[in-house]
Amino acid sequence: MNDAPARTMAAAPRPAPAKVMGRSAGFAAGRSRAALRAVLLPIVIIAAWQLAGRNGSLAGGVLPTPDRVWDAWVMWAFGPKGMGLNPYSGTWLDNVLFSAGRVAQGFLLAMVAGIPAGIMIGWSRAVSGAVDPTIQLLRPIPITAWLPFSIAVFGIQDMGAVFLIALGGFYPIVVNATHGARDVDRNWIRAARMMGASRFDVLRRVVLPAALPAIFTGLRIGLGIAWTAVIVSEMVAVKSGLGYVLWDAYYVGRMDVVIADMLSIGAMGLLSDRLIVTVEHWVLRWRRLQTATR
Amino acid sequence: MGTIRFREVGKTYPGKEPVVALDRVNLEIGEGEFVALLGPSGCGKSTLLNLVAGFEDMTSGTLSFNGGAVSSPGPERAVVFQEAALLPWLTVAQNIAFGPSVQRKARAEYEPKIRELLRLVGLERFADALPSQLSGGMRQRVGIARALVMDPKALLMDEPFGALDAQTRMSMHQLLLDVWQSLGTTVLFVTHDIDEAILLADRICIMSARPGRITHEIAVELRRPRSVDQLTDPAFIRHKAEIMAEMRAAQKEHA
Repeated sequence: MNDAPARTMAAAPRPAPAKVMGRSAGFAAGRSRAALRAVLLPIVIIAAWQLAGRNGSLAGGVLPTPDRVWDAWVMWAFGPKGMGLNPYSGTWLDNVLFSAGRVAQGFLLAMVAGIPAGIMIGWSRAVSGAVDPTIQLLRPIPITAWLPFSIAVFGIQDMGAVFLIALGGFYPIVVNATHGARDVDRNWIRAARMMGASRFDVLRRVVLPAALPAIFTGLRIGLGIAWTAVIVSEMVAVKSGLGYVLWDAYYVGRMDVVIADMLSIGAMGLLSDRLIVTVEHWVLRWRRLQTATR
Repeated sequence: MGTIRFREVGKTYPGKEPVVALDRVNLEIGEGEFVALLGPSGCGKSTLLNLVAGFEDMTSGTLSFNGGAVSSPGPERAVVFQEAALLPWLTVAQNIAFGPSVQRKARAEYEPKIRELLRLVGLERFADALPSQLSGGMRQRVGIARALVMDPKALLMDEPFGALDAQTRMSMHQLLLDVWQSLGTTVLFVTHDIDEAILLADRICIMSARPGRITHEIAVELRRPRSVDQLTDPAFIRHKAEIMAEMRAAQKEHA
């Protein structure tokens, strides 16, 4: 028992998800084998795709082969700016930052609104009765259906995209925060009250930390929806960003750029999800120790 | 200071078929007295404790603590829960500090006290451990320290050792006896374990179920200070026989 805390602490900082591997003496070997297994399928797909094409294209000239997609991406990312013949040259980073900036703004709004709202709905029956039905009524409206509304109200501007992202991210955050706040162990609240905690203390020091695991689940789902929302609104309502390039490139028949763009969106989605998971692992350290010792 | 008085207290849970959990309970607990509520599960003994704690409201009768009505939970009536109910994201020291901290006490004032309590319950090396890293008995020691740090006038203990193995339970009994004998706090102790009730309490109130009421009171005649060695004392055996006969009779009446 004595050395148990030290052991679990030492194991704690590694952010690898528990499901991927068992812990044993051959841990490093197991890890590289797992990594190899993970990249095998992508390599097979890319190789098959490359081999299926002739003269750099397949499916009757519609789809470019991976080498052409790669060339297009290199030009898009590192080519000289302002070349008349290739309007995409050198604009990759700008467009990534446009989209990421909108996601960051919209997602921040979704968090700032969704977490307190969810906690209050889960905690107070009165708030739940007053607010929850409205949320449940609006929630089934897909964010794509909000597009005309958003353009009419905000015009062809950043604000429209930020609005859609915030709205799309808000629902899963608020719903999960509500569940988290509702499922708090009754004895934790009783114990806090017995120790002299005010209702606000209970909310801040018991309900909020207890709801955090559920809140993080909501954040991850919400972030996925935020990326969907930014691409959709950039395709229709904004004249910059990865979504705009995606639609524009399709329009002028640059499928190599389209595919490079799709993969860029995927990479950004993955990266931002990893960011949240890293924060989650740090904030919920206590929880990993708990599951490790059970 | 620390007196508890129930007068004709009743508690009914509403519903399609209302459940009478407590029926006209009368009980007086004096300053510094250690009273055990003994009975089968569902007899309303935890409900009785929850009323004193301020977790639930009664349906009828009056309940007073130190002469005043009980309206909400408070640190003068510290509760030790069945499964400790520690906050899992706080360390042992932070769990014990929760009370003084929400009461806006100065850190310099309560920190030495926490160190002293950690030593008292034998956990000074685990101050920075999380509850999940502790055994059940260690967790309950934290639960007791968390209650004692607030200098309560009464300790309300709801089957605190029910989930522990026999060996651990015995060491917890000795710990509680030592602590109580040095502090002299009023204790209301809920249990279904006859041995535990006799060993710890000055007075045992036997409860029966449906409706929950106190059917019998026994003053325990074991000398103080007590220790777990008295489990084989002739007086202990005598009390045990008496209580078992009483509970068996009550059971027959209900069957």
